[in-house]
Amino acid sequence: MLTRNVAAPPSSLCPILSHDWHFQVSDQLLFPHNLNPNLNRATRKIKGFRLKANFWESIRSGILKNNATQIVEPPSTLEEEEEPVPEEFVLVEKSQPDGEVEQIIFSSGGDVDVYELQALCDKVGWPRRPLSKLAMALQNSYMVAALHSVRKFPGQEGNEEKKLIGMARATSDHAFNATIWDVLVDPNYQGQGLGKAMVEKMIRTLLQRDIGNITLFADSKVVEFYQNLGFEPDPEGIKGMFWYPRY
Amino acid sequence: MVGAAISSITSSQITMIKGGGGGAAAAFPSKSMELRWIRRNSRRKIPNPNPSSREFGSLNSTPPPLMMPIYISADPSHINLQELSELYTSCNHSCHRFPKVDSNTGIVEEALDLNKLRIALSHSCVIVSVFCKPQHVKVTNITKQIQNQEQQKQMKRGFVGDLMESVAPINPSNGQLIGFGRAVSDLGLTASIYDVMVAPPLQGMGIGTIIVKRAVRILTTRGIYDIAALCSTKERFFFKACGFRDDILGSTTMMYGRTVSNTCFEGNELVTAAGRKLLLAPPLRVPPFPSSKTTKHQG
Repeated sequence: MLTRNVAAPPSSLCPILSHDWHFQVSDQLLFPHNLNPNLNRATRKIKGFRLKANFWESIRSGILKNNATQIVEPPSTLEEEEEPVPEEFVLVEKSQPDGEVEQIIFSSGGDVDVYELQALCDKVGWPRRPLSKLAMALQNSYMVAALHSVRKFPGQEGNEEKKLIGMARATSDHAFNATIWDVLVDPNYQGQGLGKAMVEKMIRTLLQRDIGNITLFADSKVVEFYQNLGFEPDPEGIKGMFWYPRY
Repeated sequence: MVGAAISSITSSQITMIKGGGGGAAAAFPSKSMELRWIRRNSRRKIPNPNPSSREFGSLNSTPPPLMMPIYISADPSHINLQELSELYTSCNHSCHRFPKVDSNTGIVEEALDLNKLRIALSHSCVIVSVFCKPQHVKVTNITKQIQNQEQQKQMKRGFVGDLMESVAPINPSNGQLIGFGRAVSDLGLTASIYDVMVAPPLQGMGIGTIIVKRAVRILTTRGIYDIAALCSTKERFFFKACGFRDDILGSTTMMYGRTVSNTCFEGNELVTAAGRKLLLAPPLRVPPFPSSKTTKHQG
């Protein structure tokens, strides 16, 4: 494998968010938690429970505000939240006459190397964005779908070349709204229906999670592409507006 | 003084809540709420409320005072879910973009799913809530009325009592939630603002703008400058006044709208209800499929 993974393990929730908060008020915590700054390495399930506990307590305290005492419930009574289960499957498989096999693999686990992504963005002609922000955005997106091309050479067992050729990501509040950002496919692999497959898979995952407001902001050149996927421009007069600072 | 005893309990409770929840806007560790004075434009006529629509307060409510204090908080632990859902109802706002609406009255018909709202709140990186003193807005819900009555019984009346009450800052337990807004972000590049609402009798006083500007300020402090807001035709004027514009790059806003009614429904596809729309998932393609050359397009 020639890839380097700089991004943290798949994290399609925003648990980083809660983690950030109680990291800052460590001297005021009421709950006997181990404040482990390296929580990223913990398994997803434990991380989810531990980090959500604090936030759940704060929301519930708001409901029980007439009581002077805090009620601390064990985490097992918290509702299990559904996260998109990371999937990985082969989309396309091509064999060359010399025995070389190329597979295009779809994965939704957020397994995207941020340097590879930056290179891909350059390839499609997008303006550069700071790497740290890119990494942060990937970490805190609800779902990051990636397309990798894996080439296996005959006779060289275990020697494969894997590279990133496409990506799409969506942010969401996990309940009602989602926005799809940054859909891109390597120009050499465009025109094969790969972008379409990525976005369709995203939509299906979001709908399965009962997230019904799926939005995106399309460049004028790709409006037709998304229309073919079932998106409507400005439905019922709904438009997106962006904040512009006044200097 | 009994009144002081009550407020001391609640303020210590706030600190406990604060400790449990953590600093929501870590950039602004706000232990208390920010106070702002807003002014009502006395020349603006207060429109007669539509008798058949749900109104916040009685039909013949007195107009809000000319100048009144409001309290802005960015702390999610200040939100009482029940109160928030009542605010949604009184503002006739739905979490779904296309809610089921009664065709005659225009009132949102569907019930708010509290569980989903709770989940949405816990994943909104910015939550702004605005409170005001209960006496400035007539309270309709029973719990609050009882609460207020009890508090009034326990507080000493008289000149000093009234003076104390009028200058005492409020906290989430005795303030009335009158405004709300939230934003979802990836904490790196982009953010979207949703569900900005202000109680109808207090609209037009600049509270909504304060909510949006506060959310934007929190986001820009964290380095996020790409802030989007979805707005209907009516909301467009509001967001324009808050400093939002159509996209400078000319992008088109699109929403997924493949529904049961506008597509051939095979019967075995996934259907999701979103308000009044029954969304249909894209058809399932079984991988791996052979590569085919279609018209070239950019991802």
